[in-house]
Amino acid sequence: MSCELYKSEIYAWRAGSDAATFQPLFDHMAICPECARLFGQVAASDERLQRAFRAIPESPDLEDRIFAGLAHQRAQKAARKPIWKPWILVPVLASLLIVFLWGIEHQLQQARLNQEVTAFLSTPPALQIDSTDRHRLLEWSSAKLAGPPTLPSVLNKVEFRGAAAVTLVNHRAVLLKMKDEQRASLLIVDARLTQQNGFQTMREKSGSASLWSDGRRTYILLFDGNEQQMHAYMAKMGINT
Amino acid sequence: MASVQVSDQIFDDWVRQYHRLLYGIAYWWTGSRADAEELTQEAFFQAYRSRSGLRDIKAVKGWLVGILRHCYAQMNRKGHGKMEVSLDGMMDEFEDLNQIGINAPDVSQALALHQSLDRLDERHRLPIVLFYFQDLSYREIAEALELPIGTVMSRLARAREILHDRLSTRQKLTIVKKAAGS
Repeated sequence: MSCELYKSEIYAWRAGSDAATFQPLFDHMAICPECARLFGQVAASDERLQRAFRAIPESPDLEDRIFAGLAHQRAQKAARKPIWKPWILVPVLASLLIVFLWGIEHQLQQARLNQEVTAFLSTPPALQIDSTDRHRLLEWSSAKLAGPPTLPSVLNKVEFRGAAAVTLVNHRAVLLKMKDEQRASLLIVDARLTQQNGFQTMREKSGSASLWSDGRRTYILLFDGNEQQMHAYMAKMGINT
Repeated sequence: MASVQVSDQIFDDWVRQYHRLLYGIAYWWTGSRADAEELTQEAFFQAYRSRSGLRDIKAVKGWLVGILRHCYAQMNRKGHGKMEVSLDGMMDEFEDLNQIGINAPDVSQALALHQSLDRLDERHRLPIVLFYFQDLSYREIAEALELPIGTVMSRLARAREILHDRLSTRQKLTIVKKAAGS
């Protein structure tokens, strides 16, 4: 290797460098006074440079200025910090839980309603009172239910031939058999089982049903026939909302 | 590696411990006291904002120097900094050094160094300052400058050679100019 190449090695060397890496350089300097002299000059120059690099102008208030800037940043961050706190989630989560549970309960009630309506369609209960006297039937029914012995006006044209006290989805109910149509009967339930203002139609294998509510009671028209036949009957009797 | 939690108190300790180091590096990089002060402050402000990105608390010095380098690059990109410092201005700054006990040969050497660094290519100036001023290892310099260690070694060797050559002649010139100005 030439002295020119060892020169770059001299500039690459620093105190604490790996001895094995620079061993060829030291071997060369042992026999080359020129390179040894350069090495000495560079080492001396390094010492002078390190001293020179330590000579930096004072900046007495720099630390204070940095802390002032940091304090400003921290104050800004604190001002931007949202007022959100984890406990705000508690009422939100509670509301969501209530809605969720209500939804589940509603689904379960709907499933049970369908199941019990199907049972009434396939196996109607035996009549407990036989009468075509509307007033008497309603008086009898009101004793089984809470509230006055009245029916909504949409049922004004309907005539009955008997009644039975039953329960539907754990609520008191009365089943009235129609006089003018053997396949039709009416369930009056002492509870609101639907949120809908209009008719909710239910189709089952054993028949059809139409459900509506006046806000306090629920009325379910049970019909031993298909949906079309049931609607024809309802139209004929003026049952619509 | 997960990031470390740096409290305000820990960060304040770092400011006390490293602000002179960063200021010194910035001073030799920029050649200007005002620029160095601005860079040092900005580096600490950026470091504070990004302290959640620090992966190893032992590497804080290199991390801060790395941020300082980013700030320096930003300053250059924006065209700020590199305030023109006259020879008289430099001498005034070094007059102050005489008052705080740095001896005259070191001051004259520093003045000559100032002028030499100013003419040094940036890719040589950045590592040479870290090498001499902070005595960082090749590996630490490589990490701070985000360069391969081989590149750092070759640039440093070249920078030392240039500086060595220049200083052996420029020191005399500076002292002559100073004498003429006084």
